[in-house]
Amino acid sequence: MDWECCWSKEEIAPESCPYVGEGEEDLYTSHRRRVVEKCVECPRFKNDLARMKGTGYPLSDVLPYILTEFQEQKSQMGAMLSFLNSKNREIKFLREVGLVLQTSLDLDEVLSIAMTAITAGKGFGMNRAFLLMTDKERRNIRGYLGVGPRDYEEAWRTWEDIGRSNFSLRELARDFQKTKLSSEKVKFHDILQQLTVPLADQGHIFNRTLLGKKPILVENALNNPDLDRGLARILGVDTFLVMPLISRNRRIGIIIADNCITHKPITLQDMQSLETFAFPVAFALERASLYERLQEEVAKQKAANVKLREQQELIVKMEKMALVGKITSSIAHSIRNPLMVIGGFARTLLKGSTENDENRTYLESIVRETRQLEDVLSEVLDYSESLFPVTDYWDLNELVRAALAELSGVMEQAGAVCIQELSTELPMVRIDYKQISYCLKTITATALSTLGQGGELTVESLQDGDGVMLRISDNGKSLSRKAMETLTAPFFQTQEMGEGVGLSLCKTILERQGSTLSITSRPGGGNIYSIRLLTRKENV
Amino acid sequence: MAKLLVVDDEANIRLLYAQELSDEGHEVVTAASATEAVEKLQAGDFDLAVLDIKLKNESGIDLLQQIVKERQTLPVILCTAFSCYKDDFSAWLADGYVVKSSDLQELKDEIARVLAKKQKAAAT
Repeated sequence: MDWECCWSKEEIAPESCPYVGEGEEDLYTSHRRRVVEKCVECPRFKNDLARMKGTGYPLSDVLPYILTEFQEQKSQMGAMLSFLNSKNREIKFLREVGLVLQTSLDLDEVLSIAMTAITAGKGFGMNRAFLLMTDKERRNIRGYLGVGPRDYEEAWRTWEDIGRSNFSLRELARDFQKTKLSSEKVKFHDILQQLTVPLADQGHIFNRTLLGKKPILVENALNNPDLDRGLARILGVDTFLVMPLISRNRRIGIIIADNCITHKPITLQDMQSLETFAFPVAFALERASLYERLQEEVAKQKAANVKLREQQELIVKMEKMALVGKITSSIAHSIRNPLMVIGGFARTLLKGSTENDENRTYLESIVRETRQLEDVLSEVLDYSESLFPVTDYWDLNELVRAALAELSGVMEQAGAVCIQELSTELPMVRIDYKQISYCLKTITATALSTLGQGGELTVESLQDGDGVMLRISDNGKSLSRKAMETLTAPFFQTQEMGEGVGLSLCKTILERQGSTLSITSRPGGGNIYSIRLLTRKENV
Repeated sequence: MAKLLVVDDEANIRLLYAQELSDEGHEVVTAASATEAVEKLQAGDFDLAVLDIKLKNESGIDLLQQIVKERQTLPVILCTAFSCYKDDFSAWLADGYVVKSSDLQELKDEIARVLAKKQKAAAT
């Protein structure tokens, strides 16, 4: 009998069986494999079996039973193999993810691996996932992160990129953390914002999932009477999975996953796999969050320690300064009274002496030296007082006018002219009025000492960024660089200026108030003294 | 000229004040302590008092407060080695404030200014 199928032939010619495909050419010569793999599925073989039935072949009646049984077994084997393969992939994948989750303390890294695992084809292959975290302080569950495409176009573009990249899951997660995490947080901001649910709302599906500690697959959400339709509208899908994240009985959050692009059904197997995965994710998220909080607390503690140390140092320093001030003041007071008596009586004697009195020179020396000692004493006392400024907001122009008015007599004596160029639109400056007034007077007196008869002084006030600049310029003799440097060292001595603590004290005073003093040469002769003052309270 | 009470615990300074202010034509009475000053104030009329702030075991500021309370018309000038008292509100009660110096010109000028002010006030 001529059979339609090639089952009876040991060997067949190429292309004589339409079911042998490319790459299966060895089946042309392998009789057993061809029969088992191809003929049992071939419609021609079934026709041959039907024809065989009436021909009296002894096995023709039972062969269809054997064939049906064989096909069922084969189908079951196939299903089991596919199940085993998928489980194998799952175990491999969970191992890879688990390694990261077990070791990572970085919240962003944990989030990246978890969300990539859910949405990547190499992972669970869901189209989109949202992570919601419980906020114990606000007593709610709120949207934290969304991952996935927003529309078809983005979906195809992303999946094409991923297909080309050939990254492993871990590499994908790393890439996601590096390039997309922050933008994804923003991308789904509108949806995440609407997903906040109070923990007290026990009827809400999020809370039901957390309380039941089991995932819930929501289907036909728009027509589900147990469900708020608003949620389906926010998500834009009517089938989604709500997965609880529970760690040691603590409600960490939930994951919502869906196939918003492909609309592929979510199977029981998907649910089970995700459930297995949810436990390490919840644990890792909790650990990373705790670690992050711990780091914040440690940083706060460190900052507090640094501040405390600074305060302690400041207290010690202030105590030392207070002691120095007290000692200086006490010594100065003890010296001032005898000096006054010595100098005062010398002056009395001098007044009573005649021009020819040979003691007059000695008395003049006593008066002069006493005066000098008194001046040094005043400077030392001023220095100890300068250690404790009392700052407040003042009008700088008023201060300048008052200080210069006090110096008008000295200027007249020196034959100098003073020009005031004060800006009318200045903010208030935060200064110790008395000390800055002292600085201005001292600097003006210093500038006057370099001026000849008819010299000119200019005092300007102007805005300088967020501060105010006070500038005193003279057209006298320019100071040498060395003189400028030594001017601000205590008890400086220069040929040009003599010695004292005046400008050094000014510098100390200004620096203590967060201000600065600089001295520069003026083009064309003279010097410029620039004081930069603060307009607001700063840590000084 | 005027009758002045000078209070200072240093004998030499009292002597110097007496000498210099007498030369200016004033009648100078001195006291070494606040207690002595109060006694002298009760004994006679004065035109002005010059007080030191730091007196042995006593405070010139307390004496100032007592004078202001009991003799409102008597002007007081504080003359002290401490310039910092100038910013102390308790010293604001005084009519003048001078930091001690071997050159008594500033004190003399201050006495003249305060007396002129007193006379002007009395005239009006």
